[in-house]
Amino acid sequence: MTTVKNLNQKKIKDKDSVLIQAINSGRVEKFQDLVKRYEQKLYNFSLRMCRDPGDAEDMVQDTFLNVFRYLKDFRYETKFKNWLYKVAASTCIKQRRKSKFAPDKELSLDEFRANDEAEPPAQVPNWASMPLDQLLNEELSEMISSAILSLPKKYRLVIVLRDVEGFSTDETAQILNLSPSNVKVRLHRARLYLRDKLKGYFNNDEW
Amino acid sequence: MTNGEHDHKHCLAMFGRLSEYLDNELDEITCKELEHHIKKCVPCFVCLQTLKRTVDLCKKTEDKPVPREFSQKLKEIIQKIPKTTSP
Repeated sequence: MTTVKNLNQKKIKDKDSVLIQAINSGRVEKFQDLVKRYEQKLYNFSLRMCRDPGDAEDMVQDTFLNVFRYLKDFRYETKFKNWLYKVAASTCIKQRRKSKFAPDKELSLDEFRANDEAEPPAQVPNWASMPLDQLLNEELSEMISSAILSLPKKYRLVIVLRDVEGFSTDETAQILNLSPSNVKVRLHRARLYLRDKLKGYFNNDEW
Repeated sequence: MTNGEHDHKHCLAMFGRLSEYLDNELDEITCKELEHHIKKCVPCFVCLQTLKRTVDLCKKTEDKPVPREFSQKLKEIIQKIPKTTSP
């Protein structure tokens, strides 16, 4: 059954296909073009996943080395970009296992609800209703980056892929080898966590 | 809606689906049920608005440039990979 499914799998052609075919047919020097095309995206993804910039650089380096190693196995069954992020996410998860951090904390929906019930809001706060470009500044951007980094990694991976990198629920599920419903659960909790951080940030001023 | 009328179990269930609502991932029936709920439940309505803003802010996160030194280092590492190993 699997064989039949694989035979019927539609090949995906995108802007990277020609380059990958060239590399896989022996023009290995073209791999630098692939690196150039994705190094900034991958560097920023890694910065959002790793607390330490040095770890982020290691993650980018290891990801590209793994991509080089396994590129011949790429079957064009997904966009190359999605496959690249799958390799990056896997590299990131392995990096975590090497470290001695405590296991990821679970975020509970009940706790977030209890926070709201403890201080029931009377109306939508200003920070949620004013124009976005009037709200955003460098300090807020830094605060958001720091709040994302403070999330347990399994939630951080999901919110970064979905809300920062712009992957769909199904794409994120494929990248992380999770079910779409699992992605939705983690995403919602990650968003609630960040929302609480933003509430705390804005409560210090008159918003 | 008074406290007496407020069904906490139902409210928590709706609270748990707010992100799916924002992402247009709810089926039609649940979507209508949620819209009916947030008309009457201020905490859920406020949560929806603040959650939406949270997502908007995440989407506006800007990329940083790759440090030139690291980019050069990466280039050199790639050049040194034994070309016989792969692809």
